[in-house]
Amino acid sequence: MKTITFNQKKISSIALEFDELIPDEVFNWKKSDFDKYMVPIGNSRFPLSDYFDIEVEGEAESPAQVKMVLNGDLGRVKYIGCKMTDGQIVTNSSVDLHCGAEMSGGSILINGDAESYAGREMTGGELEIMGNVKEFCGASYIGDWRGMTGGIITIHGNAGKQLGECLSGGEIHVKGDCDILAGIHMNKGLIRIDGDVTRSPGGQMLNGDIVINGSVSRFLESFNQDEIVLDPTIAGKSFLGKYVKFTGDIVRNGKGTIWLSAEKNRHLL
Amino acid sequence: MEYIIKNGTVYDPTNNVAGEKKDIMFKDGKIVDNVSSDAKVIDANDKIVMAAGIDPHSHIAGPKLVVGRLYRPEDSRRGIKSKTDVTRAETGFSIPNCPATGYRYSRMGYGTVIEAAMPPLEAKHTHEEIIATPNIDIGALSLFGNNWFVLEYAKDNNIDDLATFISKWLKLTRGYGVKIVNPGGSEAWGWGMNVHGIDDPVPYFDVSSRDIIHSLAEANEKLGLPHSIHLHPNDLGHPGNYETTVSSMDIVKDVSKNSPVRDQTVHMTHIQYHSYAGTNWRDFESGAEDVAKFINNNDYVTCDVGQITLDETTTMTADAPMEFDLHQLNGLKWANKDIELETAAGIVPFIYSGRNSVHSVQWAIGLEMFLMVENPWQIMLTTDSPNAGPFIRYPRVISWLMSNKRRVEMIENGEVHKAVGRKSIIATLDREYDFNEIATISRAAPARAYGFADKGHLGVGARADIAVYDINPNNIDPSNDYEAIEHAFGNAALTVKDGQILVKDGEVVSTKESQTIWTNVQGLEEQENVLMKKIMPVFDKYYTVKFENYPVFDNYVPNPIQVNVQAGK
Amino acid sequence: MAYEEPIRDYDRIVENCTCAFCGCNCDDLTYLIKDEHVVGVRHACRLGASKIMEDMDQRLLVPMIRNEEGNLVETDWDTALDKAAELIAGAVRPVFYGWSETSIETMKQGIKLGESVGAVLDNQATICHGPSLQAVQNSGYPVNTLGEVKNRADMVVYTGSNAMNSHPRHMGRYSAFPRGYFRKRGRFDRTIVTMDPRYTDTAKMSDIWVGFEPNGDYEFYTALRAAIKGKELKQEVISGIPKETVVELAEAMKNTQYGCLFFGLGLTHSLAKQRNIDAGIRLIQDLNKYTKWNLVPMRGHFNVNGFNIFMSFEMGYPYGVDFSRGYPRYMNGETNTIDLLTREEVDVFMVIAADPGAHFPGGANRHLANIPVIQVDIHWGPSTELADIVLPGSFVGVEVAGTSYRMDGVPIYMKKAIDKPETCRDDEWIIKELYDRVQKIKGERIASK
Repeated sequence: MKTITFNQKKISSIALEFDELIPDEVFNWKKSDFDKYMVPIGNSRFPLSDYFDIEVEGEAESPAQVKMVLNGDLGRVKYIGCKMTDGQIVTNSSVDLHCGAEMSGGSILINGDAESYAGREMTGGELEIMGNVKEFCGASYIGDWRGMTGGIITIHGNAGKQLGECLSGGEIHVKGDCDILAGIHMNKGLIRIDGDVTRSPGGQMLNGDIVINGSVSRFLESFNQDEIVLDPTIAGKSFLGKYVKFTGDIVRNGKGTIWLSAEKNRHLL
Repeated sequence: MEYIIKNGTVYDPTNNVAGEKKDIMFKDGKIVDNVSSDAKVIDANDKIVMAAGIDPHSHIAGPKLVVGRLYRPEDSRRGIKSKTDVTRAETGFSIPNCPATGYRYSRMGYGTVIEAAMPPLEAKHTHEEIIATPNIDIGALSLFGNNWFVLEYAKDNNIDDLATFISKWLKLTRGYGVKIVNPGGSEAWGWGMNVHGIDDPVPYFDVSSRDIIHSLAEANEKLGLPHSIHLHPNDLGHPGNYETTVSSMDIVKDVSKNSPVRDQTVHMTHIQYHSYAGTNWRDFESGAEDVAKFINNNDYVTCDVGQITLDETTTMTADAPMEFDLHQLNGLKWANKDIELETAAGIVPFIYSGRNSVHSVQWAIGLEMFLMVENPWQIMLTTDSPNAGPFIRYPRVISWLMSNKRRVEMIENGEVHKAVGRKSIIATLDREYDFNEIATISRAAPARAYGFADKGHLGVGARADIAVYDINPNNIDPSNDYEAIEHAFGNAALTVKDGQILVKDGEVVSTKESQTIWTNVQGLEEQENVLMKKIMPVFDKYYTVKFENYPVFDNYVPNPIQVNVQAGK
Repeated sequence: MAYEEPIRDYDRIVENCTCAFCGCNCDDLTYLIKDEHVVGVRHACRLGASKIMEDMDQRLLVPMIRNEEGNLVETDWDTALDKAAELIAGAVRPVFYGWSETSIETMKQGIKLGESVGAVLDNQATICHGPSLQAVQNSGYPVNTLGEVKNRADMVVYTGSNAMNSHPRHMGRYSAFPRGYFRKRGRFDRTIVTMDPRYTDTAKMSDIWVGFEPNGDYEFYTALRAAIKGKELKQEVISGIPKETVVELAEAMKNTQYGCLFFGLGLTHSLAKQRNIDAGIRLIQDLNKYTKWNLVPMRGHFNVNGFNIFMSFEMGYPYGVDFSRGYPRYMNGETNTIDLLTREEVDVFMVIAADPGAHFPGGANRHLANIPVIQVDIHWGPSTELADIVLPGSFVGVEVAGTSYRMDGVPIYMKKAIDKPETCRDDEWIIKELYDRVQKIKGERIASK
């Protein structure tokens, strides 16, 4: 096992891009390799050592044996864990855009908030965010109709707009509230929201499941109300309580399902 | 600067050179028969030398392309390459940005490309993209098949005015020839309709596709344009459309050719999409045999194939109603562009997959056409890029044509759907192309069909557009070494354009500005002025731009190759 | 409005000029010219005419540099260009913003400069129709040229757009009033619908006004689509509109022969942003199963569409293109001007033919006040107050010719009618000069290493 610790020395106003600093690339790097490394900032590259002190402990023969720990204010560090296939990343701060984007394996734990596009186009692995996320968490790249296809994103706080846009597999679990249009254009997969949802979940969804334990302030006309189910099993998972099942989005002849807590959503029935 | 490409094995079908060891010399951008002792020597021993490739039908510049690029950033993201000291950044897989288009053609040893559909109203846009595309000469075919003026002339069988109109509009748009797309159908699309077959009347205009094709062919020959009419017939992609295709070719049977520089009176484009039998997608099967038979019996027809390459691509055509049907079929994002008085266009992303029975049969039909049309001068290599696949797949198509083994392997190991065996006869066709035939379908024949006297061959006086491929024809068995064939044709050892070395060992080493090929008809100036007096009131009333702002001005054609034609001569 | 005497005192006229105001790009203007100055404009609307005629109002005439006291002082071209080039060559996160009120020819120089230094190139779409483009990227782009509407349309819908005020000739020249080939009686052959929370001037002259509630766009369009599909609507009132009205409208839209939907910033900038347009595009696609419908975004500046088209064919992305890593990147929220400015990442900002000072949110302008700003423009405006270097350009379509693209993508070559003021330079020349000077600085830097 190899632990690589990044201790911040200096904050950059222009974001650092960490797409090359993933376990797949750095598993066999020595401290001297990090000290030599030039990190992309804007249109140039600067020594990583200007911004971080790196400590390397232990040895690794594969990305799986790497744990990267990032300390300091990472609000201007983009692409953390982007495209990683294995290993472990832990940050002790909020992170910038594209954290865990396109990752296919391994795990990322964010002890803080994540900016937009966290877990964009994930195909596998686990992304856990202890704080809130901004827009387009678990979404597709703009224009693509295929979004996240696998893996699990867990958000302990609230989620921003268009969570799981074009979701095509995997699971997103929001423990807090969720802004408008969760699961828009969703194709497959599961979105669980424990808190409330402001408006229009599941717009234009084709398939997949959205489970909402809180209340929904406004619901779209294009879903058909189905039966009320007690303790349903959804996507192989058991849920407790009474849920109203809606299917749609009928404007796209969708076969998706939205499960609303019956108790919290009397106003819609 | 003088050069001599020494000891290459030369394939030059135009000059009946088929695999001879020969030196090719060029000076000041032209092929010459001798050079001084100062000439720079390029060793091509154990390599193949051909004229640079000519793509007879590709969509590379214009409003459709830009909609594709604009609305498919997920495609632009594929194929990204950083800028280098020589090249600009590249993006895109099926719809590359303009710089990438030029570089990628150069890497394949191509020198000339025909943009297959230019809407006259937005011709300036097409020319702006041609300027932005480096390294290749580009000619654009102007769209005529659904133009209101053309429909009226065709209805009245007024060939004189139609010919004058074409002559004028080629000047206004700086176009090379006459393109006809789904004649009448795109106009019907103005009302959300289509026409089916060649005798279905166009709504309101009360003229049929038969009339449109025949009168445009006659007008084309009356002018004696260097290219024949370029026809995308009705019913593209419909099961059972081979009958429409055969009857469309039959329409121009009585039109006599009036040009010494080409052999055909009609060029049928992406014939693969028009060679379907059956009545629906379930009983859909190949109709290639009938179409190929007709072409084999009628030397006034040439065609290009539009080979399916089984990729995720972007379909785009002026056949807008067909694109809407496609969108209904696959549900992916649909773009449409209707252009006043002239044409329409549609764009839909499409994923061709070998796991899908229909796509696999389409793949087989294209190959059947290649293998069943006997005379390679009548059939040309295209993928109707990007419709059936991006042009960067040409080397792969070449490898399929040269290797029956590879085709059988694809069928047997399930790379294509097993329906191919039931619905086409591809598995029984064991013809394999040789290098000379490859040179014919990718250079010599397109040059002949477009009347390019100084392109597509390596004779003295021709432009020094040359490709060298790292293949030793004496010790390669294309049937077995299909991967080597694909790699070599995709990474030219040398590409020379107008005497300038653009590519070495598959890498772009220098760039040059593209040139625009267009046809200037002379001798009808008087008639054009008379016709314009008749046209102007209609133009002013129904167009939304002023005529003064309509033409393509000289600044959009900074490097012209102007082909002068004496009308009727 | 008071009576105005017709202008009779002019030396010459120039016909078929193209208006350099909104996305209508009316190309039928006649300029009346006296003493090399446009004194009258025929055919144009008030917006276009006043922009063209008042070209000398607060005109920037000489290059300026802000001195240490914070005042703009006049200087010569060489000094100003060298200083600007120095800033650009030394920048780590430069943004070149604007472009929508200049020619494609200028953009060509711009992309060359941007690609060579690794800048972000962005245009006004980032603050106007950007969401439309995102929706187009999600759902498609069924458009037509404006002549199709004129010749065929029997129903025209304006939504989130007050064309009467923002694009004054749009209805007269292209959509509602003109007599077309199949619509010989013009306005009488068409039904005009306005969908807008406000009872705008456009709504006032429409046959039908649908005043859905603010931010109710997405739900309204979804309900309309459901009604077109034949679903029985459950709620009595959707986004403030009675369900009967929604159903009636759905039927009317299905029963037209040719419809066109024009949408504006009312849709792009309410709650669901790009999803409103997304739903609108899908609505048009649904309607094409029954009859013929298209849509056109009501683009604002005369060449805002041009920049998107230009960037797409040059680099595959329409706006917000980031060259910092040597290849183009496009990511909404990351490579757009407003995000970069509010995140305070930008270190040098060049604005060409745009007015961020007037249009940007406070946070973005606050950062602009803290960094070097280079302005290429023809008028003194709020952005000039933020600028550290001012490079006076010339007026495309009046003083210099150039290509622009209309809102529907029709390219128009805008002609030159008069000479520019002697001390000004063409935008194209300015950007090219900057490129040359930046290359020189970079060459020197490499040589000194």
